[in-house]
Amino acid sequence: MPTWLSPRAWGQRLARLWRSSLQLRTIVATVALSAVASLAIGTAIAVSVSGLLFDARRDQVLTLSTNATIAAQRVFDSTPGEDAEIDSILNEVMRTIQSAVATPEGTQYAMQLVPGQPASGFSANTNSPGFDFRAWVSDELAASLVDEEEDRVQWQSIGLRHPDGAVSPGLVTASPLEIRGARYALYLVYDIRDAQQTLDVVRLALGLGGLALIVLIGGITWVVVRLVIGPVQRAAVTSQRLAAGELDVRLPVHGDDVLATLARSFNGMAASLRGQIKELAELSTVQQRFVSDVSHELRTPLTTIRLAGEMLFDRRAVFDADTARTVELLHAQVQRFEALLADLLEMSRFDAGAADMELEPVSAVRLAEQVMGAMTSLADEKGSELVLVTPGGFAEADVDPRRVRRILSNLLGNAIDHGEGQPIEVWVDSDADAIAIAVRDYGVGISAAQLDRVFDRFWRADPSRQRTTGGSGLGLAISLEDAALHGGWLEAWSAPGRGSCFRLTLPRRPGEPLTSSPLDLPPAAPEPEYVTEPRPHSSSTESRT
Amino acid sequence: MSARILVVDDDLALSEMIGIVLRSEGFEPSFCADGAAAIEAYRSVRPDLVLLDLMLPGMDGTEVCSRLREETGTPIIMLTAKSDTVDVVAGLEAGADDYIVKPFNPKELVARIRTRLRPSQQPVGDVVRIGDLVLDIAAHEVRRGEERINLTPLEFELLLALASKPEQVFTREMLLEQVWGYQYKADTRLVNVHVQRLRAKIEEDPDNPRLVTTVRGVGYRAGA
Repeated sequence: MPTWLSPRAWGQRLARLWRSSLQLRTIVATVALSAVASLAIGTAIAVSVSGLLFDARRDQVLTLSTNATIAAQRVFDSTPGEDAEIDSILNEVMRTIQSAVATPEGTQYAMQLVPGQPASGFSANTNSPGFDFRAWVSDELAASLVDEEEDRVQWQSIGLRHPDGAVSPGLVTASPLEIRGARYALYLVYDIRDAQQTLDVVRLALGLGGLALIVLIGGITWVVVRLVIGPVQRAAVTSQRLAAGELDVRLPVHGDDVLATLARSFNGMAASLRGQIKELAELSTVQQRFVSDVSHELRTPLTTIRLAGEMLFDRRAVFDADTARTVELLHAQVQRFEALLADLLEMSRFDAGAADMELEPVSAVRLAEQVMGAMTSLADEKGSELVLVTPGGFAEADVDPRRVRRILSNLLGNAIDHGEGQPIEVWVDSDADAIAIAVRDYGVGISAAQLDRVFDRFWRADPSRQRTTGGSGLGLAISLEDAALHGGWLEAWSAPGRGSCFRLTLPRRPGEPLTSSPLDLPPAAPEPEYVTEPRPHSSSTESRT
Repeated sequence: MSARILVVDDDLALSEMIGIVLRSEGFEPSFCADGAAAIEAYRSVRPDLVLLDLMLPGMDGTEVCSRLREETGTPIIMLTAKSDTVDVVAGLEAGADDYIVKPFNPKELVARIRTRLRPSQQPVGDVVRIGDLVLDIAAHEVRRGEERINLTPLEFELLLALASKPEQVFTREMLLEQVWGYQYKADTRLVNVHVQRLRAKIEEDPDNPRLVTTVRGVGYRAGA
């Protein structure tokens, strides 16, 4: 089945339209409510009109029947004939009746002895051809005249079946006649189809009128909604464009109504937004220029100090002990100052959004090997062995090697610092979308609370620990920014007593969304030979950031 | 004979300190504090190498660099406070051989200078051919037929490194180590910019290189 035929697809399309169109919802609600209202009003009108019509017709019928009865009674009273003449008398009576009640449709009639009356010598029972006693004269109607005192005309509604099978409303009246001491009932049947026809016309008019009213209301609502929602929609579209960065868009302001107020305040908001963004942009430019100036202005004197310090440091053997120590301190602190300055400048470059990438196709394994090579001597000092674990493929990825190298140096430096002389593993793996490098140490580890702060600027896990890599406290913060610049992740895992693991995941091409990392965190089971002795796991805390 | 080095820097304290370092290493420094005067200073000193600050009064370091390149292939090392800005690339494109980021230490500075001053190592013969080019190693000359092509010493070494092993693909890191003397620090922009400059001089059509070809994802090789 093609999709456009599928009821499900249509349902979804309608549901989407319903959710997205305020216009549709307003119109549908208005039309539905006014339909209910006009249905109620129409029904009430139809009921009362049909009541009125019926009452008028019934009164007319009763008058006719009364007249006919009086006339018939007069005929009987004035012709005291023999029993044998009853037929001619009856004919006379019927003519009288017919002339009294004549209607275009013709009237059916019947005369019958009231039940319970003693039968006299003759029978005046008669009826017009086609008079259907069973269908038209109910027992109640027949019994209503048994009471001698009852001389009013009785009536009942009936359905008249026509030869073509249709049924139309009718009325049957029963009135008492005294014929030679016996009580007879005169039944007269009236077809009130004409009243029904009038009622049908009224109903049709009401229905059509109601329908027209609903359509009209729908149309009016549509126009009104357009008048009101049109500007709101324009405002919505305009604010979307504003949000997308078109700071110059404005809403047209017409008149002095609430929509004009909306437009004016929207324009005011856009103007102030634009002003603030411009101000921020200017501030950012000032900030970047400031950073650049600080960079140059600080670095030149620092270079001189550093050269001087190095010269003195190289010749410290000829100084006395105190001076030599002074020179050593100077030398070390200048280096620290320099590292701090470099990290600070890097951080402010990220903050100013001025960091750019130099992309190259690079093998993650080769990068890891290079950085490990550079860190080997430091690791040896601490007694840690650096181990490269490469479970998977080594296809190249487009990254900025300088930044990735910086991240790895930083992670390895931290691992060596906190690795307690245990081996340090560098895991490298990749899949179709991403490359991952994880640095795993088996040192002291840190608690979950500390892990949450590990990427904070200037935060140190343990201020009392002696540091060998002389970090600035910005290392992981910078690494995190470096990873984010690639659209990648830098995540940490740690458990006290079991060590830590930092995992870098980068998309193969920057900006492509990452969904998963090729490596677990921490990566799979450590190779058995590096687990020196089992540590109690029960008290350990594990967490991820 | 000790090598003469011209230090172009407006910071007098730094210039003097660099001078002390250079003299202690047996070089013969001379100084110039103004960009506009740098060309004149070069002509009178005739140094073996120029240390050039990028931010100079009078004339911008990049401008000084390209003016110097118009008349000489003398090695130029830039001193810069900003390592990752367009200034560095602009300086390299203007013809600087290498750059050092402030603050640097004396060993780094001296190592960079010595690398640029060293005579060409491992002579592989008198003459190396690549395509229709002839490299005369002793004379440090490149000729296409009778026409002599002017290369700076750095460009000559870069071409020689590639041409002496025509079958080998050189990664940027290998070239950085062999030509620039870097071990692990690797700003591959150095290689990229100088390969572009070299191509502009030796290729018939630099946009469609045939002598120094790019091996995508790996590096460069001498193709003929």
